[in-house]
Amino acid sequence: MKMFPLQRRTLAVLAAVVPLVALLAYVALRSGPMAPVAVTEAAVESRSIRPALFGIGTVEARYTYRIGPTFAGRLKRLDVHVGDAVKAGQVLGEMDPVDLDERIRAQDAALRRAEAAIREASARHSHAELQAKRYERMLAVHATSEETLATKRQEFQVADAALAVAREEQARARADRDALAAQRGNLRLVAPVDGLVTLRDADPGTTIVAGQAVVEVIDPRSLWIDARFDQGSASGLAASLPAQIVLRSRDGELLQGRVSRVEPRADAVTEETRVKVVFDGAPSPLPPLGELAEVTVGLPALPAAPIVPNAAVHGQRGQVGVWKVEGDEPSFVPVKLGRADLDGRVQVMHGLRAGDRIVVHSERVLAPGTRVKVVDRIPGTPR
Amino acid sequence: MISLAGRDILHAWGKFIFTGFGLGLLIGVTLVMAGVYRGMVDDGKALLDNSGADLWVVQRDTLGPYAESSSLHDDLYRSILAMPRVARAANVTYLTMQVRQGGQDVRAMVVGIVPSGEVCAPGWPPHLVAGRQITRGHYEAVADVATGFATGDRIRIRRNEYTVVGLTRRMVSSSGDPMVFIPLRDAQEAQFLKDNDAILQGRRRTEANPAFNRPGVPGLLEAAIDSQSSNAYVNAILVRLEPGASPSQVAETIRRWKRLTVYTRAQMEEILVGKLIATSARQIGMFLAILAVVSAAIVAFIIYTLTMDKIREIAVLKLIGTRNRTIAAMIMQQALALGVIGFAVGKITATFAGPFFPKYVLLLPRDAVSGLLAVLAICALASLVAIRMALRVDPAEAIGG
Amino acid sequence: MGTRGIRIEGLRKRYGSGDTAVDALRRVDMHVEPGEVVGLIGPSGSGKSTLLKCLGAVIDPTAGRMTLGDEATYDDGWKVRDLRALRRDRIGFVFQAPYLIPFLDVTDNVALPPMLAGAPNAEARARALELLAALDVRHRARAMPSQLSGGEQQRVAIARGLVNRPPVILADEPTAPLDSERAMAVVRILNDMARRFETAIIVVTHDEKIIPTFRRIYHIRDGVTHEEAGEGRAFE
Repeated sequence: MKMFPLQRRTLAVLAAVVPLVALLAYVALRSGPMAPVAVTEAAVESRSIRPALFGIGTVEARYTYRIGPTFAGRLKRLDVHVGDAVKAGQVLGEMDPVDLDERIRAQDAALRRAEAAIREASARHSHAELQAKRYERMLAVHATSEETLATKRQEFQVADAALAVAREEQARARADRDALAAQRGNLRLVAPVDGLVTLRDADPGTTIVAGQAVVEVIDPRSLWIDARFDQGSASGLAASLPAQIVLRSRDGELLQGRVSRVEPRADAVTEETRVKVVFDGAPSPLPPLGELAEVTVGLPALPAAPIVPNAAVHGQRGQVGVWKVEGDEPSFVPVKLGRADLDGRVQVMHGLRAGDRIVVHSERVLAPGTRVKVVDRIPGTPR
Repeated sequence: MISLAGRDILHAWGKFIFTGFGLGLLIGVTLVMAGVYRGMVDDGKALLDNSGADLWVVQRDTLGPYAESSSLHDDLYRSILAMPRVARAANVTYLTMQVRQGGQDVRAMVVGIVPSGEVCAPGWPPHLVAGRQITRGHYEAVADVATGFATGDRIRIRRNEYTVVGLTRRMVSSSGDPMVFIPLRDAQEAQFLKDNDAILQGRRRTEANPAFNRPGVPGLLEAAIDSQSSNAYVNAILVRLEPGASPSQVAETIRRWKRLTVYTRAQMEEILVGKLIATSARQIGMFLAILAVVSAAIVAFIIYTLTMDKIREIAVLKLIGTRNRTIAAMIMQQALALGVIGFAVGKITATFAGPFFPKYVLLLPRDAVSGLLAVLAICALASLVAIRMALRVDPAEAIGG
Repeated sequence: MGTRGIRIEGLRKRYGSGDTAVDALRRVDMHVEPGEVVGLIGPSGSGKSTLLKCLGAVIDPTAGRMTLGDEATYDDGWKVRDLRALRRDRIGFVFQAPYLIPFLDVTDNVALPPMLAGAPNAEARARALELLAALDVRHRARAMPSQLSGGEQQRVAIARGLVNRPPVILADEPTAPLDSERAMAVVRILNDMARRFETAIIVVTHDEKIIPTFRRIYHIRDGVTHEEAGEGRAFE
């Protein structure tokens, strides 16, 4: 009955209160646990995938020649530096002979002394032989006693033995000298193959123990990659599979190679399978040894099967499965998975058919009875 | 009888709405505060939920891996896996660090997960909001959207670059840092491998040590250096049990035979919620108490002022025979109306402002209801002062002199 | 109701006690017949306000007798239990300032006393409109008090005082803020209303303009009333 004076005020109040109430209702219903969960969905498609294995390794040389002296000594000279290319048979350096030449001369003198001793012994020997024969003849005419003859015969035997000693002594002296001469020849460090010097561990003047390497030479044509693959995902790894290699210093450059062999011994501590991968063509420039490389080994394509993205696979009470979209409440379907490729596609061996619609991404973990809302992309994810 | 309170509010609705708005912002802050606490608890629970584990095996006598540091040899999981009733056991590493992308870096918890052939191993992100799970054993990462990374981004953790292949949501550490999942080997390297300078210096130190660098023993130095840069440690082993197994029994068995510390889900929650955020929770409790007192004081003051403005009208009302009850009801209704407006504004503000807070703000409907009740109670209490004053007004004041 | 007007006999009011006691009213004897308007005049401090408050049942007299309408309300103590209801039902108040409730419109301001007495809203408003018509402000029934002129406000206030048909109306300086023309109009209205509703009206005033209009005047001085005849000019 008196609506009019109130009306304008009422309208103003409504203008303030209605949006407030509307906002409150929106806030209560669209946020928090009552809101439906945004999900993205995809159809299961049947197709073939090419699984691939991913590992990392380091560039290594198949043949590494570590060259050093065979006995302790001092390095006299070393002609090559790291990075030098060397030819097979090239003299790389030499050990200091120190007193070796003097010892050879001493051996020469000893040898000559031994020869003189032989001469002396052989003179004694022929004299003793002569005497013995003379006394034999004299005994035949009884010109001497038997006892004297026995003495002369014994003297002859002694002289014979002395001659043998002198001869052996000479052989020993000659062998000693030959040994020193051989050592003298081994003082030179010689490249066994055509290759590249990768290491120069000592400089002239350094004393080296026997067996210590002075230079390291590799054969650049024998570069390969010592790659490691996690054992859990190494099934199907075999020799001669094609591999793609990315060197760490050349990100983006794809080098082709193939598996040379799978090592019979795996690494028990790191649980990795070791694989040697060779380059199809030697990379140019040569990568440094020890550089990190990523290796992707492609496996043969598998026959077509239902494929799901790995983001769609969830665990639920000890079962592996996917959420199938039917209406606005998804249902959990346990599945058995097959192989997967590196792009995140997984084969479903059974549990799903091609064409089934499944949840891929979800805003929250789904549970039976969760209301969902299918969207193109989950709100809040960057484009 | 007409509603005096309603008429007064309608008469001065602008004042009421604005006052309610101001009060609403204060209530909004209070709700957000409660939301921050709920968010912290939820962060802890999310961490446990997302790890997907029934048991946590950690270094002996530590509260690891979240509350304290813990380190275990990375081959221990094999013996755990051999324990009865254990279905899955997976190594995991946790390391909170700065993750670089382009010119900026983000504080994140880097989680090393076992790159197993099958997905959903313990420790794996249970659901994604974009992209895919990790398929390669190295140099791939799944990041939480809170890091701001997008799929395809290249991010840098220590010395390696990783490609972000998938995004998760609400994968956070107990302190709310977003998680970045990377393969375990890389994570071990990131956690235990020193930086290049440190490695070089370590090598030099070893070289200078005559015990390791004997001239007569070639190869000894290399062996010594190799042994120094090994990193065969993880922070914890996540164990998933067979359905129906009793976590506490299996935990006891592992404790007894493996001489390791094992936590069940309940114990872990106790550590995270009870120990890790206990101080923060008390801090927030203090703030809530202060905000409640401040809100009460403000409501009391507002209602008091509104009543003071009406002292003469109240005297007239009393003189013409209005009952005290009617006057008290008028004031209390106004206080409650103010509370309702304030709560509505506060709830809306809190809901819209919540996502902008750097830490997770979880607003539970339960908290909103108790908040409403608390606001109404506070308003009712606060109006008592004004009511008391109104009741003391002498009707004689209306008669001059 | 309203058949016997006001009778006051030997009313006394003492503030405080012992040595500091002040006798504000020492002996007040008044009677106002239904339909009669009497003036109450006195200098400040003479006890006018105290008398008005005693009559209005907002302070307690010390001794004496008061009869409002046909029932003794005070006889050395209140005779009614609910003073609030007494004020609501048997006394109408008109003040120097109109003291309307600013958040109620004119109708509801007038309708408030019957509503407080428990009348249904529609009936209370009907009575209010009737009175507003009688006071010639019916056309402002939907306005808010702040939209009215001073005279209109005062008329609305008078309507509020009358709406419960009290036997007594106490008017405290009702014409003070008004010019003489409007003041006379208010006085005329009071007289009209007194006659029409058989109401006894006491007008406390010092307004020289209206004093000559009273037929009877009570002077109060030092808490004692004296009756004298007024000129009664304006109303034949």
